[in-house]
Amino acid sequence: MSLHLYQIVIAIIAIFMIYQGIDNYIKGKHHPTILKLLVRVVVWGGMAAVALFPMITVTLAKIIGIEGNLNAVILTGFILVFLMIFKLLSAIERVESQLSDVVRNDALKNLETRNPKPKTRRKE
Amino acid sequence: MPMDKFYVVIPAFNEGRVIKKVISEIRKSGFENIIVIDDGSDDDTFDQAKESGTVALRHKINRGKGAAVKTGIEAAKMEGAEIIATMDGDGQHNPGDLGNLIEKIKEGYEVVLGARTKKRELMPLRKRMANFAANVFTWYLNGIWVTDSQSGMRAYSKKALDLVDTKSSRYEYDSEVIREIYRNKLKFTEIPIEVRYTEYSMGKTEKQGFLNGLKTVYKMIWNILS
Repeated sequence: MSLHLYQIVIAIIAIFMIYQGIDNYIKGKHHPTILKLLVRVVVWGGMAAVALFPMITVTLAKIIGIEGNLNAVILTGFILVFLMIFKLLSAIERVESQLSDVVRNDALKNLETRNPKPKTRRKE
Repeated sequence: MPMDKFYVVIPAFNEGRVIKKVISEIRKSGFENIIVIDDGSDDDTFDQAKESGTVALRHKINRGKGAAVKTGIEAAKMEGAEIIATMDGDGQHNPGDLGNLIEKIKEGYEVVLGARTKKRELMPLRKRMANFAANVFTWYLNGIWVTDSQSGMRAYSKKALDLVDTKSSRYEYDSEVIREIYRNKLKFTEIPIEVRYTEYSMGKTEKQGFLNGLKTVYKMIWNILS
């Protein structure tokens, strides 16, 4: 099997990215989760597989039911990008909500200072 | 119920010019327990509110009307409130309507929504149309038809305060409360309230333009999907 330069480059990048993901997961860097690792393996593994074995796209097109392997690849890419955007938006919303909680708790501290909770007195 | 269990919560963002007057009007209407939440204003809203002798709390950064109202409600609960009313800090609401809101709560309603339908003809046509669109979206997404889904003047009973659990930080908060009423099957009613469109309050209203309206609709849909 003869390989073009672009196939070799994509494969090397994909291997590096997957290796880095596994390394992060094992060493516990950047809040690793099994889901993050799986997404990384599927995305980069998929890219490497399509680059090294282009005929996969024909099978993919048959499975999806779309004529033309390129269309199938583009559609799959769109779905993946959409899922990633959804996940990003969810993360942003979560951070926004946590930020509001932190700001609220800080504001309410001033109220507690104004009206300190009565301390429990020890019986004499 | 003693009046010391009734609290007025005012979210305020850059309302330094009018907040003292708003507080003074509420006091003249006979309500003393006032909590002002300065939502990260750039002006002296916080100092003005504090000088007026109210409970003034400050968000260090701007988090939106919904977040400020929620902070105010939490503060009032900590102070032992049993009925809480919310009203805007720009002076568009008439504190004279607060008494009617409390009466309805005392009659057994859990949430009372102030509908800006008194002197409706004074409301600019563009605003009336925007409000109608917001009502339609709120009805479609949250299941209840109300005549003013974006009104900031509302009152809550203790039961409602314990059940309503909002997560929205910005203007979609008003619609989320409607969803919470539906979700918790709370007994609610609407009463007509006056709205005063001064040059100042209209200037503030301009900040909720078409783009912000679209953002609010997007957030309402997102809150349901996510």
